[in-house]
Amino acid sequence: MRPPSEITCGSPGRIQRSERPNQRRFTVEHPINGALLTLAPLLVALASAPAAVFAGWIRTRFAAPVGAAFALLAAVTTLVVYLRGGGEVNVAWAPTWDLRLHFALDGLAALYALLATGVGFLVLAYSSRYLPLHLEHGGRDPSEGNRFYGFMLLFMGSMVGLAMAQDLILIFVFWDLTAVASYYLIGYDRHDANSRASALMALLVTGVTAVLLLIGALMFYAAYRTYSVPELAGLVRPGPLLNTAGLLIAIAALAKSAQVPLHFWLPRAMAAPTPVSAYLHSAAMVAAGVLLLGRVYPLLQESELLLNVLLGVGLLSMAVGGVLALTRDVLKQLLAYSTISQYGYVVFLYGLGGKYGAVGASFYVIAHALAKSALFLTAGAVSQATGEDRLSRMGGLRKPLPVLAAASGAAAAGLAALPLTIGFFKDELFFEAALQRGPVFAGLAVAGAALTIAYAWRFWSGIFLGTPRDGAHGVPAALVWPVAVLGILVLVGGVFVEPFAVLARSAGAAYYPGPVESVKPAYHLDLRPENLMALATFGLGALLVVSRRAWVGAAWGAARIGEKVGPEKLYEVGIIELNRFSDRVHSYEVRDLRSRIASILLPAGVLVGLAILATPNVDVYRVGSVAWQDAPLLLALVAVAVSAIAATFTRRHVTLALVLSSAGYVLAAVYAFFGAPDVALVAVLIETVVTLLFLATLKLVPYKILHRQARLPLQRRGRKIATSAIAGAGAFAVAWGTLSQPAAERSVSQDLVELTPEAHAKDVVTATLADFRGLDTLGEITVVALVLLGVATLLRKGRLR
Amino acid sequence: MILAVSIVIAVIFGSGAFLILQRDLLRLIVGILLISNASILFVMASGLSRGKAPIYPLDGASVSDPLVQAMALTALVIGSSTAALLLALVYRLYVSHRSIDIEDLSTAEMEAADALERVNVTEFDRGFRDEPVQEEQADERELEKEEPR
Repeated sequence: MRPPSEITCGSPGRIQRSERPNQRRFTVEHPINGALLTLAPLLVALASAPAAVFAGWIRTRFAAPVGAAFALLAAVTTLVVYLRGGGEVNVAWAPTWDLRLHFALDGLAALYALLATGVGFLVLAYSSRYLPLHLEHGGRDPSEGNRFYGFMLLFMGSMVGLAMAQDLILIFVFWDLTAVASYYLIGYDRHDANSRASALMALLVTGVTAVLLLIGALMFYAAYRTYSVPELAGLVRPGPLLNTAGLLIAIAALAKSAQVPLHFWLPRAMAAPTPVSAYLHSAAMVAAGVLLLGRVYPLLQESELLLNVLLGVGLLSMAVGGVLALTRDVLKQLLAYSTISQYGYVVFLYGLGGKYGAVGASFYVIAHALAKSALFLTAGAVSQATGEDRLSRMGGLRKPLPVLAAASGAAAAGLAALPLTIGFFKDELFFEAALQRGPVFAGLAVAGAALTIAYAWRFWSGIFLGTPRDGAHGVPAALVWPVAVLGILVLVGGVFVEPFAVLARSAGAAYYPGPVESVKPAYHLDLRPENLMALATFGLGALLVVSRRAWVGAAWGAARIGEKVGPEKLYEVGIIELNRFSDRVHSYEVRDLRSRIASILLPAGVLVGLAILATPNVDVYRVGSVAWQDAPLLLALVAVAVSAIAATFTRRHVTLALVLSSAGYVLAAVYAFFGAPDVALVAVLIETVVTLLFLATLKLVPYKILHRQARLPLQRRGRKIATSAIAGAGAFAVAWGTLSQPAAERSVSQDLVELTPEAHAKDVVTATLADFRGLDTLGEITVVALVLLGVATLLRKGRLR
Repeated sequence: MILAVSIVIAVIFGSGAFLILQRDLLRLIVGILLISNASILFVMASGLSRGKAPIYPLDGASVSDPLVQAMALTALVIGSSTAALLLALVYRLYVSHRSIDIEDLSTAEMEAADALERVNVTEFDRGFRDEPVQEEQADERELEKEEPR
């Protein structure tokens, strides 16, 4: 382990499996400055949320510009630090638990941080105009926007943190922060029950699976004593541990990326305001899943099983998302299913592996983020223009919104991977990676890409082509220019692909063990297989578009079946049943005193019983030796047991009090035989007091009432006897098991005995109570004082009545 | 010896559990006291050493574990305080309900809960019928009227 105070900085290069990361780290002259520089993107991103909220608190309309400015600043900072070679900060966080604050701005981190801050800036600029309209539409106060910007920027900050975190626990922390931020953003329209239910669904699906990530991290820690991903990458070996822990982490990532079968929360999350959806889909929440997959890819790629799981899940998501996107009518739903399908490609690429898969996955994320955020913002803008959110009620909007039509046309073309857009290269890498694995995968890749063309065309043509409708009006410029910027980026990427490719390569290098420099997306004007596949895709896509009537019925049927028996149904039924169960337990628990006590004691008893069953119980129990001088002790114990049993038979209360006190007095004798005169004396005293109190109570309550109770027949006798027998058996198992295994180590009691003369005392127990454990005694005295107050109050109130 | 103590603990605990299941509140208290006795015996028995009382001068022989004794003492005192509080509560319940039967108390509790719910529902209805905003304004007006006096 490294010394805890060490701060190391360095330029992160590729992480070799065999190379321990501390070997390639070097200390710069001013470690603090270096660390600050490396952390600058994260610090700016995390500071943006409080800054925007503060600005909005001063004046509502300041929140959006300040937030957008901070996002832009964070993006610029990220870019600058990345171009300077990145860096790494690794300081102890909680050394006793081996937790470290380990951040690095490597290629992967830079890619996702740039996406989160860059797209975040555009989305915030868009929101500055969209959100007031949204709030006005809902008749809400403009100051509610503060909450929106606060959570939006928290989202951004946690994404940057997640991108830079190299420690599994740190990743988990930021992971959950994104879940919290998304919960509030999806449920932003909190007056709407649907919105709240959607937010809860997203939180449950991604939050419950996040626990799997934690479990996976702990499993790795248990085996290798480190949470650091780069260190783990050099340590893991294929085997059941890697398969299990890796699968748990992969499930968390796949749920976050809305992959089948945990995809259903994403279409529901469309209840959020449109900018949130745009951000969620392109650069934040959903991207976090594939980011995590990339981060732990050095671990996952050791296991053939895990790669096959990724292949299968990716393929399934491509198919399900693609087919469902062709059936949805609500704009944002269509886009949501397309996102599921698109991230399916990314997961598929991870599963394919190889250098093309690794670089392709990162390149795909860039291309998709640009195109998809543009399309979402388009959906929001045209909804504002027409007041409609369904494809079937739109059309012909190219006339009133020419710039938007052109920009989103470029974005849709990018999604569909047409030439002269950045999308063409994402499919080029995709096809190359698939070709490496064989013709079957190549065929599947073509089919998937054709589906993309079909729904991209459906989205764009449905909005902008066709007969114009009445009632459409223009939209503010702020709703158009962010889309235009993204559209231009998509086109620029189609011509000058190298900057994007450099970023994707350096991201791929961060997690792919082999060399990736040879992966260069470019146009080739020849009949190489990738180009043929692209041509086949275009042809198939066009065929899908023109033959819509022929297959749309089947697609609808598939969607219906999914609704009836799909995982969403399962989730709903599960939630309803859980609710019902909780209601039932609650109504039973609050019914009366007895069920309230039972609802505490029963689960406790069950837990104890399970613990007894779970602990090994062979050769554990000891009978113990009995010496002749123990005879009086044994006799006394028998007497205690007999009086306890007698207490259960006694009818009259006075007798009961006497039986109880006899048990107590004999117990005092038992303590005396144990060599504990202090306890014995106190027990006698206490027993006397309790007996007197009991008799006094009997005197206060009239005999008539006591008599009625004493003559009461015992109801459900068998059940009560059985219950108490089980309770006794449990106590027996616990007591015998515990007493059979005394602590093996030197007890603190010896210290107490040795220290007593120093406390100027003779009796060790007295010294312990008054001196060594004096605070305990103080607490005990407080309890007695409180009880006295309580008793006095109760008695006085009683008499006053 | 270990087995014998364990059996006795179990018997006391079981008897206490049986008494807790009774309808009579006083028996319930006796049950609680028995269970607390069982646990104190358990604590005492879990001492690591047995021997003479741990009081100086020690003559080299083994002494009984003082730690568990201190804990048992604390438990004894707290147990007796709890008993006092419980007994006072039983008396208080007798004064208010004229019964020390848990069934009677449950019935009374449920009736009280129902009554409370009815009151809440009617208030809720009233809140829906009236315009709450107007009510607030009316309150403010009244306040304004009252202030000059």
